[in-house]
Amino acid sequence: MVLLGKVALGIAGTALAGVGLICSEGMIEVKVVEKQPEVHHVYVLAPAMLVPMTMHFIPSRKLGNAAAEIKPWMPTIRAALEQLRAGEDVTLVEVREPGQHVLVTKSGGSVVVDVTDPDETVHVSAPIRAIESTVEQVAAASPDTQD
Amino acid sequence: MRKGMRVIGVCCVLALTMRNLALTAMAAPATTERYLHVKVDDSSKGESVNVNVPLAMAAAILPTVNHGSLHNGHVTIGETDFNGVDVRAMLDAIRNAPDNEFVTVKEKDQDVRVAKLNGNLIVHVLDKSKDGEKVDVTIPMKVVDALFSTAKDNELDIAAAIRALSDAGDAVLVTVQDATEHVRIWIDSHSAGE
Repeated sequence: MVLLGKVALGIAGTALAGVGLICSEGMIEVKVVEKQPEVHHVYVLAPAMLVPMTMHFIPSRKLGNAAAEIKPWMPTIRAALEQLRAGEDVTLVEVREPGQHVLVTKSGGSVVVDVTDPDETVHVSAPIRAIESTVEQVAAASPDTQD
Repeated sequence: MRKGMRVIGVCCVLALTMRNLALTAMAAPATTERYLHVKVDDSSKGESVNVNVPLAMAAAILPTVNHGSLHNGHVTIGETDFNGVDVRAMLDAIRNAPDNEFVTVKEKDQDVRVAKLNGNLIVHVLDKSKDGEKVDVTIPMKVVDALFSTAKDNELDIAAAIRALSDAGDAVLVTVQDATEHVRIWIDSHSAGE
């Protein structure tokens, strides 16, 4: 009975550690509310670590074109993301038009984009570390193997 | 006796709390982030755009950009952009001169004023023909100096100017106002603009 308890504790501990590891880079949150013609709600909350992990399964040749375009800008992207991560929370861009509002902020360790217009409301939040590793993986794909 | 011990205990806790607070305050970074803000309001369309850029980020990004005329934080300017004017010699003259009004032009359609005041280079332009467009530019002389601190005559050191802006105090750098649009560029320590 005691042994069974220890095994159960081990399994629970491993599962908890696994969940902790997967969630260690934060969560990507996507919320879309379509208002017209019918009201639709889409809500996705996924561990940010899954994105760079998923990138491993995309063939390099599919990313070749994107890699070629992004590579020259990598030093700039790295510098921007590093500064963004180290800096305070900030509203980076805010655009207001009649009926439309766009807000791009850095909040905690994430970049948050909120768009509100008469047809839909979109909220996307992505951890900066996940953006960094994803962009690095896209840049690392060989442009020579593009389609 | 027990009461005395209690008082001593409370005093110890208070002293420890104060010490920890003091240590936290000393450990906190003394520098606050500086931001470059750009705000554009168009009252005719009811639109407004607000961009806030941390100056540290701008200073870190600029040297990494090598595209077009921008390279390593420097921007190359063609000879024709200066119209044959020796800008460095002109700036030297302005730097060494006392506060003064250097240029005043009053025309039928336009008024222009260039002056140096309290360590700032000030440019006012009033265009009377075009919706009464009014442009005010106030640039700290240190920033102007940094801008022209490169060795090459046809280059402006944008990265150095950004660094100089970081050290400057809160200031409104540019305002443009016409009948419907209002543009404002300023620096301060507030992350969310106005």
